[in-house]
Amino acid sequence: MKLFGRLLHKNPVSFLPYLGVGLVLILLPLFLSPYLLYLAAKILILAIFAMGLNLILGYTGLVSMGHAAFFGTAVYIVAFLTVRYGGANFGVVALLGILAAVLMAALFGLFIVHLSGAYFLLITLGLSQLLFSVVWKWRALTGGDDGLPGIPRPDLGLSLSMGDDTYFYYFVFLIFVGCFFLLYKLTDSPFGHALVGIRENESRMKILGYNPWRYKYVSFIISGAFGGVAGVLYAYMIGVAYPGDIGMMASVMVLFMVILGSPGTLACPLIGATLLTTVEHIISTFTPERWPLILGAAFVLVSMYFRGGIGIYLIRYWRKAELRHGSPEN
Amino acid sequence: MEALRIERLSRDFGGVRALHEVSLSVEAGERRAIIGANGAGKSTLIKLINGEIPPTSGTVHILGKDVTRRPVHDRVHLGVGRSCQINSLFLHISVLDNVLLALQATQPFRFKMLRSISKYDRLSANARALLTARGLWEKRAVPVVDLSYGEQRRIEVVLSLASAPKLLLLDEPTAGLSASETSDIIELVRGLGRDISVLFISHDMDVIFSIADRITVLHYGQVIAEGTPEEIRANPKVKQIYLGYKEG
Repeated sequence: MKLFGRLLHKNPVSFLPYLGVGLVLILLPLFLSPYLLYLAAKILILAIFAMGLNLILGYTGLVSMGHAAFFGTAVYIVAFLTVRYGGANFGVVALLGILAAVLMAALFGLFIVHLSGAYFLLITLGLSQLLFSVVWKWRALTGGDDGLPGIPRPDLGLSLSMGDDTYFYYFVFLIFVGCFFLLYKLTDSPFGHALVGIRENESRMKILGYNPWRYKYVSFIISGAFGGVAGVLYAYMIGVAYPGDIGMMASVMVLFMVILGSPGTLACPLIGATLLTTVEHIISTFTPERWPLILGAAFVLVSMYFRGGIGIYLIRYWRKAELRHGSPEN
Repeated sequence: MEALRIERLSRDFGGVRALHEVSLSVEAGERRAIIGANGAGKSTLIKLINGEIPPTSGTVHILGKDVTRRPVHDRVHLGVGRSCQINSLFLHISVLDNVLLALQATQPFRFKMLRSISKYDRLSANARALLTARGLWEKRAVPVVDLSYGEQRRIEVVLSLASAPKLLLLDEPTAGLSASETSDIIELVRGLGRDISVLFISHDMDVIFSIADRITVLHYGQVIAEGTPEEIRANPKVKQIYLGYKEG
């Protein structure tokens, strides 16, 4: 309650959109068909994935083209443990999935965090493609392009069945809220402010007494952990692990989501994931073979006319509305 | 005790020797000016002292510690503060956030992840005091990129003071400022306690003679004279090659 009070004290109106969106998300199962609810759960999961990339892209200022490596690692770990070893304890499987993603990020990070700009982008791409080709070729272990099907919905030991889409949706929603809250806390902290400082002017940060390497490395690992959480949920939702989950297209999609949603804003991951997933759904219904074409064109248009993504336009619009209604300054 | 002692410090850039065996020491509390023509190696000297670039040879001691091999961020924690010749700020965040970043840089909580930065009351109070003293508190919510050059220059100096340095390095703090803005900076430096040693670069004779206790003259990467302002003013060699006077 204390935190809530403080938020309200800070600027009561700014948090209304978040509460509104939260309320809509809670009420969604009342209105949506099972298939659309499944899509909504997918959006929330991809938004968690995008939160991780948003942290390093929007706050630390590192553009990763291989972020699906961490997401995909978690997807495959969940698939292994459940399909190959019959691991039924959701807590253990989820924890191992996230841990694997974190370790992968810690390993990747050692090679790339001292790089920046195009080099960082290319090496993240290269390393994730390396991982992709291992998954693709090592059929005995990963099933190659057949994937690893047959992941059951998690059993939480409650009397609720996660096979029920409504319960699964609420489960994902709770984790989404937790991740959102965590990201909010992170970006509001001394650590989060230092990340923005690195994005704005890394050499000055050193002159002020910061060790940027440490911040970049830790934020990269946290970012991988978000990818891991999303990967675990995604594996349980889809029920199968495909090489595509770890490949370049998945990395590019999440990068699009973050760029569309306005990197460096809290609202970015949800906006980006919602836009991309719903548009993909609508277009795939009518003309699936043209989806990449339309995606590409949309990306070009957004880059030309909505510099900085859709998110900041929504935020600016809201701020204007806020000013009209005379919100208290500070 | 000496705040700074450098011995036979040299730095090459490719085949060009920017500094050649420079030795100097700055007493605690001293205000030292480094003067010299463009290309004399003044900024290189400052970068070697705070560790932004490593020396080709020679050593740097700060407050009695050999820091020659220490990275730049380490030296800040030993007490080195520095302002840049060309404004180097965090342009797209607010004035207040710039100062908060500078203030928390030397605090142990700078890695804390889950507590709001606004809950560190002393940090906020210090930021307010620093900004109020420089007449920038009213502008605290403005992104730095939207400030005037003079205001940005003031923030540059505020950032260098935020870590409460023992040795302050100012690289042309008044470059490009109006007369009144310049005297504001002079007042600021003169108002600093004598627990802070200052080494500064300037081309402005008013600034040099109203701040410096001692002056070191660099010429093509070498020290050619050092002394009190009176001694430097009277030094024939300096007159000839730096101040541009003819003998007699």
